[in-house]
Amino acid sequence: MDKSKSPLKVALHGMDGRSYKMMAMYLQGPCKGVAVVVNDNNAECDIFDADAFNAEKLLNERLQKSPHRPVIVISLTDRKLENVLYVKKPVKIEDMVAALSQAKKSLGLPAKQTSTQPAPATVNRSVPITPVSTDTHKTNDIQPTADKQALKKFVLDTDEQKKTSKHQAAMLLSEQGFGAFIGNVVGVDVNDPKQFAKATYNPKEYFQGYVESAIRLSYEKAQIRQLNSGWSPLVIFPHSNEVWLDADEKQLRAFAGLPISSSLVGKMSITPLSLESAVMNEALEKFHSVDAFLWKIACWASKGRYPGNIDIRHPVYLKNWPNFTRLLVTPHALRISALLIQGPRTLGNIAEVLNVKPQYVFVFVSAASSLGLAGQAKREVDVLVHTPDIKPNKNQGLLSRILSTLRGKKG
Amino acid sequence: MSQYKIIFTGPVGAGKTTAINSISDVPPIKTDASASDMTKSRKASTTVALDYGVMNLSGGEKLHLYGTPGQERFDFMWDILVTGGIGLVLLLDNTRADPFQDMKFFLDTFDKFITDTAVAIGVTQMDLSGKPTIDDYHLQLKVLGIKPPVFAVDARVKSDVSLLVQSLLYTLDPGLEE
Repeated sequence: MDKSKSPLKVALHGMDGRSYKMMAMYLQGPCKGVAVVVNDNNAECDIFDADAFNAEKLLNERLQKSPHRPVIVISLTDRKLENVLYVKKPVKIEDMVAALSQAKKSLGLPAKQTSTQPAPATVNRSVPITPVSTDTHKTNDIQPTADKQALKKFVLDTDEQKKTSKHQAAMLLSEQGFGAFIGNVVGVDVNDPKQFAKATYNPKEYFQGYVESAIRLSYEKAQIRQLNSGWSPLVIFPHSNEVWLDADEKQLRAFAGLPISSSLVGKMSITPLSLESAVMNEALEKFHSVDAFLWKIACWASKGRYPGNIDIRHPVYLKNWPNFTRLLVTPHALRISALLIQGPRTLGNIAEVLNVKPQYVFVFVSAASSLGLAGQAKREVDVLVHTPDIKPNKNQGLLSRILSTLRGKKG
Repeated sequence: MSQYKIIFTGPVGAGKTTAINSISDVPPIKTDASASDMTKSRKASTTVALDYGVMNLSGGEKLHLYGTPGQERFDFMWDILVTGGIGLVLLLDNTRADPFQDMKFFLDTFDKFITDTAVAIGVTQMDLSGKPTIDDYHLQLKVLGIKPPVFAVDARVKSDVSLLVQSLLYTLDPGLEE
């Protein structure tokens, strides 16, 4: 890799969560990515906020531990610190870029050229570290536990916000759009109670089943794995709960909605992948969260049917609410969740109590099962005890009006 | 005419003001001021009294949206605020040092109100800090013996806030028709 083009890796010290985020974004945005925030162990340079009450201690520790690692200090007051680069607050882009450039040079790395003409940063090499600013006792009073409580550190992942699919808001599917988006099963009326026994599908015969197996294996081994299917390979990143697939939604829908043909079964394999080979050159917008991906392909495989391992005569449970803001919201999914979270019910009972077509219950249970959120209740009591009717809220009229107002507001 | 309200609560910087703004029909009345106490380390200005927004409902009724001030020194107002409320929206900032502690604090504080009504939890800033995960929140809630909706929320996105409030309404009555 050409190091001259890579950003300087910096660690931030003496900053609370907000300041930390702000500085990370400042380096990424206004400073045009000349530096990137990383964990302390991987850093080439350190940036200290000298106005933090424990900055002096932190700085001394750093200088003793890594005397050759360049240090940039930012402060409201003029500082004369030995062997450090100083940038005065409020931090100006050109000053920060200049300091970062000098830090890079001191490491023997060529500085990245930016459109900003850097002004030389102040470097002092003779005067010992001075005490922190006079405001520090105030800061200490304000947040007395700050030195004891490790402030949450995180590396601002400059790529994270480019993962547009992963952070996409929920898609709300209406009854009218269900058939076109999810599809229908030919030859079975899934909404006819007499045909319920036939309204099943086997996830293992679909892409869903292979993805579930690959994800399980990848998580068990804590390894990046690639699912090869004779189609676009699916890469699974267990540590970040992500998958990557080079296919648009239309292609995926078509592939996920059809049983895997016998000619493709032989091509299915799961192979381990190294981080380097998995991450390089991957388009960030093609990352999805594991949950959102599985949920969606389960909906497409289900087409309004329920998984064959569910006995329709027995109740199913819902472990917890799905994270609906990041999932495909099928018709009545919120209502079904609210009802099922109260206690196990049979699929038919849910449809009856909520007065909805069974296919909406079936597709919800299929998707929730794929994430391990729903399953067959095994306790005897769930079968023996009569499922209670739901009691209307005394403000039902009002709640309905709020709901219709919210549903009329598009995000 | 009755006064109906939903309460938005949560720690400083969790997005209460923004969330109310996302679904209010009128520009919310904000009472932000320069932070002068412990909030200073997290944001430049903060809500020192309360936020207020309105949703206009059919039939001329209004739903009032109140945001509690994040600072604990205003907690004497919280009891007054929740009186007559139909439910609680709790927003948690995932970048804070211990969001579980925040969650427990607010669930404890509003315990009686939640028992009488319902709560829906929105976790903000998940694009900046992915841990803890939504599953981790559910594990914590399991210990507390409750199963409220917990969604990742971008308080600026209307559909996120809308879905969270809808989940609150359905928790109150799953029989509500769409």
